[in-house]
Amino acid sequence: MKRLAPVLLVLALIALAFYPAVGTGYGLRAMLQVFMWIALAGSWNLISGLTGYVSFGHVAFFGAGAYTAAILIASSGWSWPFAALAGGVAAGVLALGIGWPCLRLKGPYFAIAMLGLNEVLRALVSYFEGLTGGGNGLSMPTLDATVPVYYAMGLTAIGVTVGSRLIIGSRFGLRLMTIREDEMAAEAMGIPTFRHKLLAFLLSAIGPGIAGALAARDQGYIEPLSVFPLATTITMIVMTLFGGKGTVWGPVLGATVLFVAQEMVWARYPYIHPLLFGAIIVAVVLAMPRGILGLLQTKYRLPRTI
Amino acid sequence: MNVLITPAMVGQVIISGLLSGVLYGMVALGLALIFGVMRIINVAHGPLLMLGAYTTFFLYSAFGLNPYLTVPVSMAVLFVVGVLLERTLVFRVVDAPELSSLLLTFGISIALVNAAQLAFTSDLRAVEFLTGSWILGPFAFSKSRVIAFVFAAALTAGAFVFLKSTRLGKAIRATSQSREVAMVCGIDVGAIHRLTFGLASALAAAGGALIAVIVAIQPEMGQIWTFKSFLVIVLGGAGNYPGALLGGMLLGLVEQLASLFLTTQLSEVVAYVLLVLVLLVRPTGLLGGRQT
Amino acid sequence: MDVRKSFGGIRAVNGVSLALERGRIYGLIGPNGSGKTTLFNCITGVERCDAGAIVLEGTPIQDLKPYQIARRGVGRTFQMIRVFPELTALENLLVVTTGDHAAATTRARELLAFVKLEALAGEYAGNLSYGQQKLVEFVRMLMRDPSLVLLDEPAAGVNRTLLNELLDAVRRLRDAGKTVLLVEHDMKVVMGLCETVFVLDHGEKIAEGPPGVIQTDERVIEAYFGR
Repeated sequence: MKRLAPVLLVLALIALAFYPAVGTGYGLRAMLQVFMWIALAGSWNLISGLTGYVSFGHVAFFGAGAYTAAILIASSGWSWPFAALAGGVAAGVLALGIGWPCLRLKGPYFAIAMLGLNEVLRALVSYFEGLTGGGNGLSMPTLDATVPVYYAMGLTAIGVTVGSRLIIGSRFGLRLMTIREDEMAAEAMGIPTFRHKLLAFLLSAIGPGIAGALAARDQGYIEPLSVFPLATTITMIVMTLFGGKGTVWGPVLGATVLFVAQEMVWARYPYIHPLLFGAIIVAVVLAMPRGILGLLQTKYRLPRTI
Repeated sequence: MNVLITPAMVGQVIISGLLSGVLYGMVALGLALIFGVMRIINVAHGPLLMLGAYTTFFLYSAFGLNPYLTVPVSMAVLFVVGVLLERTLVFRVVDAPELSSLLLTFGISIALVNAAQLAFTSDLRAVEFLTGSWILGPFAFSKSRVIAFVFAAALTAGAFVFLKSTRLGKAIRATSQSREVAMVCGIDVGAIHRLTFGLASALAAAGGALIAVIVAIQPEMGQIWTFKSFLVIVLGGAGNYPGALLGGMLLGLVEQLASLFLTTQLSEVVAYVLLVLVLLVRPTGLLGGRQT
Repeated sequence: MDVRKSFGGIRAVNGVSLALERGRIYGLIGPNGSGKTTLFNCITGVERCDAGAIVLEGTPIQDLKPYQIARRGVGRTFQMIRVFPELTALENLLVVTTGDHAAATTRARELLAFVKLEALAGEYAGNLSYGQQKLVEFVRMLMRDPSLVLLDEPAAGVNRTLLNELLDAVRRLRDAGKTVLLVEHDMKVVMGLCETVFVLDHGEKIAEGPPGVIQTDERVIEAYFGR
């Protein structure tokens, strides 16, 4: 099985690379979204899964990336790949700005602070109407870039997953986990917890920033409600919890499974699905706190970098 | 801003701030109780308030009852809901790491909000019962806000009397200080937890019932209350019950003053910045409380 | 070189002054609530003293953050064991250092062998027995080769055999020139191990001296049994 896994992975990547040649418009869009969720869930995992500092406002980075890119594209004529990178940078800067005061707080207080972040950003976007178009949203020149954006989003998803693998397999990742396990003991052992938290937070913002920028380009139009919805944070949390927080492939698994389930089953009952997500969070926290992969990890003694 | 700000306006705003502040304090007291007794951050607090508002709305539209008469009913209904929630779900995470209780109550809050969306739709509802203002000298006070203040003050005072003087209230305070000692003293800690959660839900429901007359009712109305209740607790100090009341008044003041000098949109930002500042400078709250 | 500490003005610790010398084992005893753990917390930077200074080898450290103090060579174990349960025993040790990975791994394995736990290096710390966790916490503290070792109730909940091994290890630390300060309730341990004992009561130092003398000191007896 161990030898098979890398081979399967390479095959899957090749298949995904050639998919645009055979896929339909709907199929491409769907895959694009799966990549996006993998990037989002995997990034959320970096801060919340590893350090235990729950970020309830992570969609703020998605929105920040979206708006940065949209403004650069619409007003300054940037090409979207560079705008996407700028989106990542903007999200990173935001993470530093928010993280620097908020990560000094103990876990639950940090969560509270993050809860409000979303609303605040939305209010700020509405306030600076001149720049952001306020409630009317922002349009970009139409561009049929679905295929290139597909690849870009795919690369982002791969980047986040590879990054997770590197972090979780390193001593840096271990130190992040000690923050989750026992922050005070970690400090007593000489680990500078604040610096570590800040770095993890920064890294966890870049993926959503780029993903937001790419999603914005794909949609061609954004408005505060479309890029700062609480539902996005909820979804990335559910996906990571379900698949296995603190693992490398957990978010990937969670994103893929739940997205597919969402498309196939719940899209028919659009009003039930947020309710179901809430119920899943409750169920996972009570019955399966480490998610599917976490469970398998303990049962079959799988390595930490699964 | 070209509008001249008169002392009368400032005075009006200060009084309005204190009026709404007591309401914030009452709702936040519920949250403070849950945190103090069970060490749980109840992210679902806002949705409980929302359900209280809907209860009032439906009683009003079905039976034409004076909404202020429905306050005790809303409180009773949500008391039961709170106890049920604690008994079935929340009790399992009382001793778990904080992450679990945060996520659990987060999940519950999403489920409640969306259940409400399913059941009640997202249409805005209103209880058109009391409009207009009372004029007192240069000040004008919206009638519904004044009455809300009166109820909130009474309920909060009642809550404090309950905590201080009754046997159950003392048991709650004892458990909040030390669970182990309370157990050894023969207090049924599990029952206290249920009672606390129920009480907190009732206080939230009262808040919901009172503002049902003031603002539009919709499933997401509670979210901002969750955040503000946390802010109040941070201001007043975790585990510091009178602090919740004072913190609420402080928040009400700051908010109203901010909306006078800035736009209303930015007053939310102000609340947020205030939260972050206080957490940085005095993490135990302005009035001193317990650390987590 | 001296390690000097003096505090004043905290509720729990009121004007306590201790001077520690290299290469000696000191005990810190006193009835419950006398301020022993608070003192430890002040030394390690977890709590800030309202007044007074903590001087480590000539440098004041009381305003430093806990991790900075740890990096200056202050090691500590806890009353309630605080290993990282979801990390393996080996990872618990590795996590503490930042240098060369191979060197750190070798040292970690050596330390685990020192307490005869090398076979359990890959086991999650949360799965180990109480005594094994205690040993892991002990050697984890040694990873950074601290010059000042603070042990909070090392004998608590430990069986005789393990205790003797621990005490042996502590003596070897002393022989290597480290300064050891331990809080302990087990009087036999204190009397048999410590060269000098400080006695706290209600936040104040009421006695200081060799174990034999302390045992017969009236104030100490009164603190424990009297009033």
